[in-house]
Amino acid sequence: MASKSHPVDESWMGSRMPRKEDLRLITGQGKYISDIVLPRMAHAVFVRSDYAHAKIISIDTSAAMALPGVISVTTGADIVDEMRPMPQPVLLPNLPAKYPTFYPLSVGKVKFHGAPVAIVVARDKYVAEDAAELVEVEYEELPAVLDPNAALEPGSTVVNEDHPDNEIFSMTFTGGETQAAQDANDKAVEEIFNSADVVIKETFRVHRTGITPMEPRGALCDWSESDGLTAWITTQRPHIDRLALVDLLEIPAERVRVIAPRDQGGAFGIKAPFYRENVIIAHMARKLGQPVRWIESRYESLMNVGQERDQFNTLEVAANKNGKLLALRNRGVADNGTGETGVYWGFVMPFLGAHEVPNTYTWEKADIKLRVAVTNKACLTPSRAFGHFPTRFAIERAIDIISHKIGMEPADVRRNNLVPELPYTSTTGAYYDSGDFIKVWDNLMSHIDLKKFRQEQREALANGRYIGVGFGTGVELSGMASEVLVPMENQPGYGAASIRLDPRGTVQIFGGDAPGGQGHETSVSQVVANAFGINPQDTLTTTGDTAMTPFGAGTIGARGASYFMSAVHNACLELKQKIVRILAHDLGIKAEFEEFDFINGEVIYRSDPSVKKTFREIVERIIMHPINMPEGEVGGLEATVFFEAAKPMICFNADMCVVEVNIDNGEFEISRWVSSEDVGNVINPLIVDGQMQGAIAQGLSNTIFEEFIYDEQGQQLTADLENYKIATAADMPNMEVTYSPTPCPHTPMGTRGIGEGRPSSVPGALCNAICDALQPFGIEITELPIRPNAIWKKIHEARS
Amino acid sequence: MELIEEIRIKANRANVFAALNDVDILRRSIPGCEKLEAISPTEFTGIVVSKVGPMKARFAGNVTVSDLKPPESYTLVGAGKGGVAGFAKMRTMVTLIDEGDSTLMRYEVKADIGGKLAQLGGALITKTSKKLAGVFFQNFETIVNDEN
Repeated sequence: MASKSHPVDESWMGSRMPRKEDLRLITGQGKYISDIVLPRMAHAVFVRSDYAHAKIISIDTSAAMALPGVISVTTGADIVDEMRPMPQPVLLPNLPAKYPTFYPLSVGKVKFHGAPVAIVVARDKYVAEDAAELVEVEYEELPAVLDPNAALEPGSTVVNEDHPDNEIFSMTFTGGETQAAQDANDKAVEEIFNSADVVIKETFRVHRTGITPMEPRGALCDWSESDGLTAWITTQRPHIDRLALVDLLEIPAERVRVIAPRDQGGAFGIKAPFYRENVIIAHMARKLGQPVRWIESRYESLMNVGQERDQFNTLEVAANKNGKLLALRNRGVADNGTGETGVYWGFVMPFLGAHEVPNTYTWEKADIKLRVAVTNKACLTPSRAFGHFPTRFAIERAIDIISHKIGMEPADVRRNNLVPELPYTSTTGAYYDSGDFIKVWDNLMSHIDLKKFRQEQREALANGRYIGVGFGTGVELSGMASEVLVPMENQPGYGAASIRLDPRGTVQIFGGDAPGGQGHETSVSQVVANAFGINPQDTLTTTGDTAMTPFGAGTIGARGASYFMSAVHNACLELKQKIVRILAHDLGIKAEFEEFDFINGEVIYRSDPSVKKTFREIVERIIMHPINMPEGEVGGLEATVFFEAAKPMICFNADMCVVEVNIDNGEFEISRWVSSEDVGNVINPLIVDGQMQGAIAQGLSNTIFEEFIYDEQGQQLTADLENYKIATAADMPNMEVTYSPTPCPHTPMGTRGIGEGRPSSVPGALCNAICDALQPFGIEITELPIRPNAIWKKIHEARS
Repeated sequence: MELIEEIRIKANRANVFAALNDVDILRRSIPGCEKLEAISPTEFTGIVVSKVGPMKARFAGNVTVSDLKPPESYTLVGAGKGGVAGFAKMRTMVTLIDEGDSTLMRYEVKADIGGKLAQLGGALITKTSKKLAGVFFQNFETIVNDEN
């Protein structure tokens, strides 16, 4: 029997169990970073730049310092001798780039509207805010670099003056390692284009948008001479942040502890980088000898993070007249912002975006190149659908445009060109390990009678109504193998979990990744309950505390059900094997591990079910009474296991959208949204449904509503939720999420990590549907966001 | 932000032009003006308290007069800093058209606004600017007529 009276009468794998987290979250019992209060805690507020690009002539802090309650006012000039600048090795990808050198506070000049200039620490936040207003900064304005294409031109003002130009990164993704091989490939692509029946070329623009979690960032740091630094940080990657703090502040590694609060109000990528604010808060706590806390305002958050996408992709596709896709050529230009963000530097997102241009389709050849430009804007920060939201929009729109040109059904062109069999390696070298794209596609198409729809569409048109259907597909990362993550981020990809069995028959789980609301506690509890035959309620999961958890690279890239859960599963397996060895010894039988079942709180000998012991009894015996043990065995039941898959893994999805467009005002209504998903074996369908619905909602919100706007001076105009419009529930269509899974052969439970890349097939599907409805006008959308005014304008132009 | 407006003032052109260059009349006409001083015949410095939407700020700034063509036109170039609220730079071209007893004043304002002020949204800024301009000219017209 487990310690409590929780029933244990079902397989927890695949159970639609309500989330363990939700009771505390919906009753106000969640503990977020701003709920953590330490004695003598001081409060920090940043003074931020009003200019996009300006020399700092002087900073007068005297009036701020004179305000009662102010503890310190610190500027960039004050800290340059007190810490190392960024980058430090743990923050550098293995990619050749022009990394800017920078400090947490701007030194010499400011590079974007919102850049930190000074930090005020005071006894409370009110005093700190008042004092920040008294800091007088004199600037000399410099020309702001705002257009990424112009930024790459010779003679442009240079933003990061430690480098000769604004091109932070450029890369050719196809053809091989050497210049000669790439040139030969480019030539071969050119030959295909020259002889192809049909060729299209369009520049696809996706604006600056991203993800805005409910809870902004924050940091609370505490310093002790004996134990060093304890830092509570809103982060997806506490173990990486820990190493960054060690290197930047030169603190012995064993004396830095980072704790990601168990409850974080969303992250979606924006809490994955290492931010400059974290360093200065830690530094101030050490310098002042008292805890210092910074809680980001919504204003600061919208000024500094969640800005992604922002690419131009000039995409060419060659096909034959039967709709066979032959070759693609893409020239990407991304607007990086300043590049002053650890781990990602802005360009790592467009890097992955370019890598994923070929998507789910087969190509004979591809020629893909990317240039990334530094500008006087906030640095791009990772946002769910990391880097490939723009390239996916481009490729999915291009498939429809070429279908229209050939005169074929876009759905047929898609199916005919889907990667027919896995594993498969794309033209950019992306490895697709397993699954069945065609099966997932056919499942999607089973939800619509396309012939009948085309008939209805013709009838509607005869009545002056414009309805359309659009499709999009996406192959997404299911976790990040070390093979991918080491070159990309200089970090390991393995998942890590520690399992500690309790003499009372319950289980504690420790994970090094730090979730932001994905329901890890629930999924872990189901995996553990299923493994040991106990109730999920008899488990407790601790995440995010580097002092208690094994090293993990963080909650990124759909690492949950791919890597972390696999590590949990394997740790359980290791302990079960030990339990069986000792139990068999105690029972005096010679039996293999496979001959015992862990069910209903008991460990049962399958050949004779009367031979059994309760889980609690055998666990207590091994932990508390380790005498009369089998030879070579010692007591205790704890295991730490690292899981690395043999190959990089993927998940796959396809979207279908049906819209009706009002041609008089450009408004459109999504009447159906259907998806088909290969998510592998599912641990909790409720959580997977939520991931898919949330991802589609975020994709639609990015596509239709959200947009960061900078004016011609580089002033960021969208720093509140009135001007940065995020979709609400009322804006969303009903979503019919359906599944067509293939178990993943590379994870122990056949699970796939899901949800990260998922929004990226959305803009293509929606815009394809709108363009399908507007085919009588020959309208092709190539630019986001797509709103009624833009659609109306296109209809108006087409009509006149 | 760009603003092009016309207003008819019940005073003759010479008086309007003179008043537009009179520090005292300007100080009394500008809504929220705490201080306005002439440093030279073509340069003013001053402090204005202004409320835009939810934000109230004290702007310290200066204005330079150029392209003086009495009594027809002149250009004002100014810059102000409102502390944490942000900053503003503006260039205003004023043209006076003689209509006998009254004067048609045409002004074109081009302003760059930065910091938190800029984020209030163009619509709010333009609306506030129009409102302030309206108050200014109402005050101005009253004072000009009283003085003459």
